[in-house]
Amino acid sequence: MVADVVVAPAVTRPRIRIQGAVKSFSGRVVVDVDDLVLGDQPIEGLIGPNGAGKTTLMRMIMHSTPLDRGTISLLPAGGRETVLSSLPAHRMAHHGVVKSNQVIMDFDKLTIWDSLLLAAAEARYEQPHRVFSERTVFGRHEDEIRHYLDYFGFADPTAFALSAGEKKLLDIVRCLLLRPSFLLLDEPTAGLPDELTDKVMTVVKDLAAAGTSVVIVEHDLNVIWSLCDEVLFMAEGSVILRGAPHEIRANRTVVEKYLGEGHV
Amino acid sequence: MDLKWLDAFLISGLFDVAMVMGLALLLHLQLGLGRIANFGVVGFWGIGMYVYGVLYVQVDWPFGDPWQFLVCAAAATLAAGVAGLLIGWLISDLDTDGVLMGTLGFAAVVQILATTQDDLTGGARGMGGLSFPYDIGTVKQNEFLWLAITAAVVVVILLYVWWVHRSPYGRLLIAIGGSEPLARSLGKSTFLTKLGLFTVTSAAMGFLGAMNGVFVHFLDIGTIGVAVTLAAMVGLVLGGTARVWGAVIGVILTVGLFDIVVQSYLPLPREWYTQAIPVLREALFGLALILVLVFRPLGILGDMRRDRLMRKIHGR
Amino acid sequence: MEFVTQSLVIGLTENAPLVLAAIGFALLYRLTGLINVAYSETITLGAYFGMWINTTYGLDFYAILIPTGILAGALSVATYLALFRPARHHNVGALELIIISFGLSIFLRHGLQFVFGYPERFYDVPSPDTIMILGVGVTSFRLIALLSVAILSGLLYLFIQRTTLGLQIRALASDEDLARVSGIRPLAVTTLIWFIAGVAGGLAGAFYGVGASVSPLLGWRQFLLILMVALVGGSWGLGGVIVVGVATSVALAGMALQFDQVLYAQLVLIVAFVVILKVRGSKLTETAKV
Repeated sequence: MVADVVVAPAVTRPRIRIQGAVKSFSGRVVVDVDDLVLGDQPIEGLIGPNGAGKTTLMRMIMHSTPLDRGTISLLPAGGRETVLSSLPAHRMAHHGVVKSNQVIMDFDKLTIWDSLLLAAAEARYEQPHRVFSERTVFGRHEDEIRHYLDYFGFADPTAFALSAGEKKLLDIVRCLLLRPSFLLLDEPTAGLPDELTDKVMTVVKDLAAAGTSVVIVEHDLNVIWSLCDEVLFMAEGSVILRGAPHEIRANRTVVEKYLGEGHV
Repeated sequence: MDLKWLDAFLISGLFDVAMVMGLALLLHLQLGLGRIANFGVVGFWGIGMYVYGVLYVQVDWPFGDPWQFLVCAAAATLAAGVAGLLIGWLISDLDTDGVLMGTLGFAAVVQILATTQDDLTGGARGMGGLSFPYDIGTVKQNEFLWLAITAAVVVVILLYVWWVHRSPYGRLLIAIGGSEPLARSLGKSTFLTKLGLFTVTSAAMGFLGAMNGVFVHFLDIGTIGVAVTLAAMVGLVLGGTARVWGAVIGVILTVGLFDIVVQSYLPLPREWYTQAIPVLREALFGLALILVLVFRPLGILGDMRRDRLMRKIHGR
Repeated sequence: MEFVTQSLVIGLTENAPLVLAAIGFALLYRLTGLINVAYSETITLGAYFGMWINTTYGLDFYAILIPTGILAGALSVATYLALFRPARHHNVGALELIIISFGLSIFLRHGLQFVFGYPERFYDVPSPDTIMILGVGVTSFRLIALLSVAILSGLLYLFIQRTTLGLQIRALASDEDLARVSGIRPLAVTTLIWFIAGVAGGLAGAFYGVGASVSPLLGWRQFLLILMVALVGGSWGLGGVIVVGVATSVALAGMALQFDQVLYAQLVLIVAFVVILKVRGSKLTETAKV
């Protein structure tokens, strides 16, 4: 296992460091993380009871929720440190930091093809004076997009994504097309049938093996136990435990606070 | 060229239709795709018209037409583009309320400046001295040629809009109109995109304003009121905000019906034309706007059909 | 010093209706979320209602205030019930609602023009006494307007902030579902909000009308200022609207004294407000939902 041969994973894998990050909504502290580094392991799982601040923390990393205090920075593999928390939200993807959405989000006027071409298209083709560049963009990304379409079995990509599952999947494929170096997945498999969950997990494993750091929030603990190299347990806004899946699974606090006695 | 069949009313009616159609097509890019409600269309059009007029009349150019027209029209386009850049910068990260205030405010500013700077613009007295950048014979022939040129410009705008729908740029605009946060999370700078959209469309509105100045020969602050914005908006909304041809169909059915059919062909008492008809026109446009948006918000043509379009251009 | 007192007195007395109108507009905006462009015609119609009652029944100006307010309030409620409520039921989007109100505004304004024509009309009132305040001559009507506006604003503020009904209104605005569960009847309360906003707008119109003249464009001329005061001041609550409204009134009068053209004062205000909105708006951009 990768986790057993760790010597200095920091050199090859992008990491995100969260320092003194605090967020409160109308007086209630939702996230209060003192010092946390994500990305030491290829795939890290973030678990915890509802309201523990998992989703908020992820949104803070993406800067779609501004921080009250603190900094979040990206330590890329072999590059210079970038302070993410001072960048506008759209710059995250340029640094390879990409997140899938917990609640279903879609462009309701765009078809599946549209949505994927949008994710893949480079900004230089999306200019007011480049209205003839559709062929170029299509040519550059068709193979990659078709690969995902076939792999996940989208029925008709020229149509709109209709079911919740299809939209969820589309969201994940959009993330993949952004070529993430640091991928955050917020409940990626909720609402997906088992076979698609497996396919998503396979893609995630491949990505991680190729050098992408993955952090996954998931309620389906089977996914967490089988996929993650490390699990972080979050409660009341901060990470109170981290360790290998079997350690977390056996931990008393986790069992009492979250899993319940019957779940072990 | 024998133009007996064409009376002066018809030429000016057709010119109005072309002008509003051009504005409505540009508004379609802002409102239909980007979902930015520009209530200050007349401001960008008006700044183009006045910059053109002032430069054409007040500056002693060393060259004559058509160069004088081209240089002044280019300056007018540039001025409207810069205004679009500035207003775009102000409103691109605001919500609809802020956009309403910013664009309405801009239109008011243009009207105020046109009124107060009366040594340049003629203010409330108006300003004459404009003419066609050519002379091919009778007034009617000159007007007809200008109508043809304007129609050609509108066709170019229509083609551009048609291509935008088939481009990555158009897709991004639709995405921004749909969900800005989601577009941002895909690495798209929604701010810069809206800024670019506003700059380009405003510049084009300014150019149309300059063309209008050439046609009417006389600039009057009464013509840069909210009626212009209304005409473009009601035409677009009636035809269909989201569709390429919405502006075309809608403007024919609103401005075309009123400025050509009612003005020229209905046997109405003479005194109605100066007072009652223009007021009635605005009232009916307002009413049409309400009725369409309540009962058929997407207009006659309905929603955009990206599925059909995708099948056509990328289908298997 | 003379400049300051002049600006204060002229600003407050001449532009007092602005504050009242902005309060009504902001109430509607904050409590129902709607930017109602047709509010400008509520103001205009208030001025016409007042003039109609005044000239038809020969009532003096103070006696017409109550029926004018009720008529304008009823008109406001009518637009809600006949148009905005059905539109909401048709799931019309926020952007479309603004355009609808824009259409309604145009329709009413030109409808009025069609009926009444362009000429400005006047209230039939005895020519007002001029009273000297801090060395500035002020007509008694404007003074009454200022007093009435101050009293009405205060009452509205207290009503919204201190009474049970006001509490219900605020509850409905912040969370409709929760309010419904708590036994608040949304239709009744929303209708009440529209009525109050209409009364405020209509009275503002009557004050504008008696201070100068009545024409179909009366409300629309003030709309941009009202919108700006309500949007910028509204983020600090009703108190903010009052403060910003008063500041705007005084600034407008002060600049009108300084510049040779009144329009420059408007120009400066428009630019100032848009810049304020921009500065404030930039801080809110990244809080969107993803």
